[in-house]
Amino acid sequence: MNPKKIVDILLVEDNIDDADLTIRALKKNNLTSSLLHLEDGVEALDFVFSPDGLNLPKLILLDVKMPRMSGIEVLRVLKSDERTQSIPVVMLTSSKEEPDIKECYKLGVNSYIVKPVAIEAFTKSVAELGVYWILYNQHSK
Amino acid sequence: MENKPKILLVDDRIENLIALETVLADMDVELVKATSGNEALKHTLHHDFALALIDIQMPEMDGYELASILREEEKTTNLPFIFISGVYTDNLNVFKGYEKGAFSFITKPFQPEILINKVKLFVDHYRNEYMLKSLNESLQEKNLELGLVNKELESFTYSVSHDLRAPLRSIDGYARVLYEDYYEKIDEDGKKSLERIKNNAQMMGRLIDDLLDFSKVGRKELNKDLVNMNDIVNTVIGELQEQMKNRDIEFKISDLHTQMADINLLKQVWINLISNAIKYTRKREKAIIEIGSSNGLQPIYHIKDNGAGFDMLYVNKLFGVFQRLHKEKDFEGTGVGLAIVQRIISKHGGTIWAEAEVNQGATFYFSLSKHKHTTS
Repeated sequence: MNPKKIVDILLVEDNIDDADLTIRALKKNNLTSSLLHLEDGVEALDFVFSPDGLNLPKLILLDVKMPRMSGIEVLRVLKSDERTQSIPVVMLTSSKEEPDIKECYKLGVNSYIVKPVAIEAFTKSVAELGVYWILYNQHSK
Repeated sequence: MENKPKILLVDDRIENLIALETVLADMDVELVKATSGNEALKHTLHHDFALALIDIQMPEMDGYELASILREEEKTTNLPFIFISGVYTDNLNVFKGYEKGAFSFITKPFQPEILINKVKLFVDHYRNEYMLKSLNESLQEKNLELGLVNKELESFTYSVSHDLRAPLRSIDGYARVLYEDYYEKIDEDGKKSLERIKNNAQMMGRLIDDLLDFSKVGRKELNKDLVNMNDIVNTVIGELQEQMKNRDIEFKISDLHTQMADINLLKQVWINLISNAIKYTRKREKAIIEIGSSNGLQPIYHIKDNGAGFDMLYVNKLFGVFQRLHKEKDFEGTGVGLAIVQRIISKHGGTIWAEAEVNQGATFYFSLSKHKHTTS
């Protein structure tokens, strides 16, 4: 991992299949040229708050349930730090049953996607959100 | 009860205490004696009494004074007394005893049977209270346990919805990857097989969702309000337009009785019943769905369709979870809808039943209170 590399999209997902399918979906929309995939919350925060300087991706896709540090905890840290709170964060969750969704909104999440069994819908929303946030961020530069 | 009820006997004269003891000797109680008010108070620190027999005329602290102290102490505030007096037999003093919170009053010389009867009454009362208290305690314990079980169930539900879905997503996702990215290399038969993998993964996803919905209904608390059934039915029909595309469906809706019920759950009932009626009339050129309610102390609601119906032989399976009376290729579904309906109705204390004939349509009836219906 090279922390100096410019990262547009940071994908934090512990399930390799989910990560692979997400990356495939993003790839079809040409959104993977500067994508970094990390596998849990600790790695994500280590990357963003790197000792070599901050890494501020344009979009963070964050799985809710991960080992060590959950997506919610990562979200809390990101949204409570002035330097990182404006990075758009999209939560990836397995189910609308998730009692944590409310919590995510309280913490200021920008959106969440229920990873459906039917990958079509997921692909579509990830692509839409990805395109939207990346374009938006480039405009506002 | 592990311990015998205890009775406190207070009299400054030993011979009176012995007399009381003799009278009460045959009762299944423990007697604790005190020769002064102070001694009596000391005993109340160490024992829980069912009753106190108190002599009124005592030196230093008389019976009334003792009684008023006992009333003020938290531990003895509800302790019943029987005042015993040989001297103050006039009405005014009797009244004074009651005023102090005594439950009874007996004058000397007393008849042993009368005293025994009075004591029995109080002891029985104490025993009942004690039982009630321990029942209450065990109920509270059970409640606590239930709360824990519920919590466990919740985390179980959470992992079902989370962990069971992940592998399904991969199965579905990679079938799709093969289908799309390797389209050229796979022959028709292979594509069909991939289609089946995807369909089945999605089916299992629906089963998980429905099962979760079903378990959620069971845990929901009822929030009752006066419900206008016509409003709900009309809203539901409006929301189900998507399912009625390209269909010729006539709804005949009569005035429905209002009812105290949980509006959200009742809406779910109508969603499931009406969408079933829409689904099972699919093969009719013109579907007719009638919704009505009958007069009576407890209204009975019904929804009747002219659809596929079912064989009454299997009616007992109708409301079971994952039970289906139709083939998947004829009518799709997971077999959870009616199970949810029944659960909601029975949560309201009501009943649901159905009548049908193959190809002659089905009628579902429900009432929100116990109702004996004629079909078995």
